[in-house]
Amino acid sequence: MRRSLAALLCLAGVVVNAAAPPVSPRIARVERWLKAVLTHEPGTSDDAFGAVAAWPMASVGALWVDLNSLVALMRNPRIARFDIRQPGQRVTQSIRYTPNDMHRLRILACAAAGLVQHQECLALKAGAETDGDLLRLARLAEASVRRGDANYVLRRGALLHTDVAMASPAATEPIEPPGSAAPQRLRLSLDDGFGKGLGQSAVHWEIARMLLDHVQPAGSDKADPAHDDMVRRWYRATAAWMQSRENYETLHLDRARGIFPDDPDILFLNGALHETYAAPHIQSAVHGVSLPSGMTFDLDSDHGEFRRAEGFLRRAVTLQPDFSEAHLRLGHVLLRLGKPADAVKELTQAIATGDDDLLRYYAALFSGAAREALGDFEAAAESYARAAELQPSAQSPHLALSSIARRRGDRSGALREIRLVFELASGSEDDDPWWTYHTAQARNADDLLAELIQPFLSGSDR
Amino acid sequence: MSARLASVVVFVAASTLVARAQNAAFSTKVEAVRVDVLVTDKGQPVRGLTPADFEIFDNGVLQQVDLVSFEQIPLNVILALDMSDSVAGERLDHLRIAGHALLNGLKKDDQAALVTFRRDVTLDADLTTDAAAVRAALDEAEPAGATALVDGAYSAIVVGESDVGRALLIVFSDGLDTSSWLPSESVLESAKRSDVVAYAVSVGRARAEFLRDLTSFTGGRLFEIEKTANLSAIFLSVLEEFRQRYLVSYTPHGVARDGWHRLTVRVKRGGTVKARPGYLAGS
Repeated sequence: MRRSLAALLCLAGVVVNAAAPPVSPRIARVERWLKAVLTHEPGTSDDAFGAVAAWPMASVGALWVDLNSLVALMRNPRIARFDIRQPGQRVTQSIRYTPNDMHRLRILACAAAGLVQHQECLALKAGAETDGDLLRLARLAEASVRRGDANYVLRRGALLHTDVAMASPAATEPIEPPGSAAPQRLRLSLDDGFGKGLGQSAVHWEIARMLLDHVQPAGSDKADPAHDDMVRRWYRATAAWMQSRENYETLHLDRARGIFPDDPDILFLNGALHETYAAPHIQSAVHGVSLPSGMTFDLDSDHGEFRRAEGFLRRAVTLQPDFSEAHLRLGHVLLRLGKPADAVKELTQAIATGDDDLLRYYAALFSGAAREALGDFEAAAESYARAAELQPSAQSPHLALSSIARRRGDRSGALREIRLVFELASGSEDDDPWWTYHTAQARNADDLLAELIQPFLSGSDR
Repeated sequence: MSARLASVVVFVAASTLVARAQNAAFSTKVEAVRVDVLVTDKGQPVRGLTPADFEIFDNGVLQQVDLVSFEQIPLNVILALDMSDSVAGERLDHLRIAGHALLNGLKKDDQAALVTFRRDVTLDADLTTDAAAVRAALDEAEPAGATALVDGAYSAIVVGESDVGRALLIVFSDGLDTSSWLPSESVLESAKRSDVVAYAVSVGRARAEFLRDLTSFTGGRLFEIEKTANLSAIFLSVLEEFRQRYLVSYTPHGVARDGWHRLTVRVKRGGTVKARPGYLAGS
């Protein structure tokens, strides 16, 4: 079988140039996209990556539309009607193609699905109109199907767009009125508590999510990403990456939660995201920006965001009672919600179930604040002193100790601790983990990404 | 007991005229209250007032004013300056020029200190009469990173309390607090316990609730400005206004020691009085 396909491949290379009818630039772009998927080494900035990254945002939007059609054809080469619905929207939009484009899109779908030898694709003479690269892709996709995974292009396409999205997360273009069936994403850049630069960003993440929405688990002929481990790991890794880079996108984790509603890691990241959304620099920046008519940021008040975070984190610890970091974040959120006694319970759980010094530092710091809020200054000072021991270079515990001394009328004690604060002054963000608390939940993001792409590296599956 | 302690305060306050190195270690037990008071008439400072001219009510109870000082006591000026990323460029140039102007306006016995805050808080220059050293520290300070405004303000208050002189805190910030550990409520509580008078300059679009409260609770003033071109004039006006203030001292009687003490300061001969609205005592 493999040999016959290879032979066909050689023939096709000759035929395709002479016989292929003209197609629109959009469909030509889908073909270039498939070839980029074929050659892209995940995690690298290779030529395929460069080609896709260079496409203008409008083209990427159109690609999202056409890839929806391509994927539909991959699953059913006979369909002729494409109704596209944007994520989160109820209304569908019909997409129409010229006969030539439609024909070419079917050929491309045959190759992408590894179905060149299937009845419908043979009837289209797919092999004859498919060049060497596409036949190679078809062969790899078919081999993947034989291994029980009919998702070769979907997974690799998602990884390609993941790489592009991660390479220039802040890239934006001027906002244009929504005009196509493609989703529109606005991105606000923040700087020191202010919104700077509102622009339209390319929908690479949307493409990746859409592709993975169609993943079929082994043995199933229905899309069911909820039962696919790679999709689960993709959401965990990419959501962590976004938070580690302060590149927030509510929709991403909403989608992840929609697919994996009982995944403690995803619930944890949801909680951490909304905890971050409650921070003054986010609240101030987002509420200070004027959006075009009809557009909103999905951001509640700080109290509302903490409440959302509380809900997600409570579910995470219910599902996984020994999830120490979820207990820690829940404790911090409860503290901010003015529930110091409840916070102490969660922080005690975090310390009991965790053995990570970083988490113990945070827990000691937050316990100090919770006990201070309860009026137990003695216990608060002990907690802060423990935090100072765990992180000797950190200023925050000494600021807290100084403040407690000041509240108790001990000015010389307050001054002594402030002198320590000054001695510890440092430009390095590593010195006080409090400064990076908003990204600490995602400190394993790079490891998660490395684990995610490892099976897709050269030699792993091709 | 409190009368004896009050006399200690009077003695030390007077002694600072000649002996700077006194440490305020005793102040934790002293119950005397110092209030910086600005008295103006039609916008002009009123001079020549004596203790007999003042009426101070502590939680509504008239107090006996022990001492009124005017100009005699050297100042401790603490500059607490935002050195986060957003200050870089023209703002930093203006800030340095304004800082220099202020330092040049100090008298021989006045002291100055420089606290800067990014995500961390730095004591760039401790309280000193060597204004040149503070100027040099200001010139060396470089903007970077996030803004720990609340932590910076708190640290500066503690520096202000580290010496018995009259402490004037000038906070400059162009941004929102993005990285402090201390909650603003806790620092405002410290401010209510402090004799330090805080003035602040908030630049740009930042909502300045914290600075508004800080300056209000300490009897200072908040300047909210869009541009920093006139920052020198603001700094100098703060210094000038502070020099026009009386330092009024009394030992509370007839009121509970702990808790919030609402202060009302009046001048018998009339005029507009500006002073902190109260102070917090006890834990």
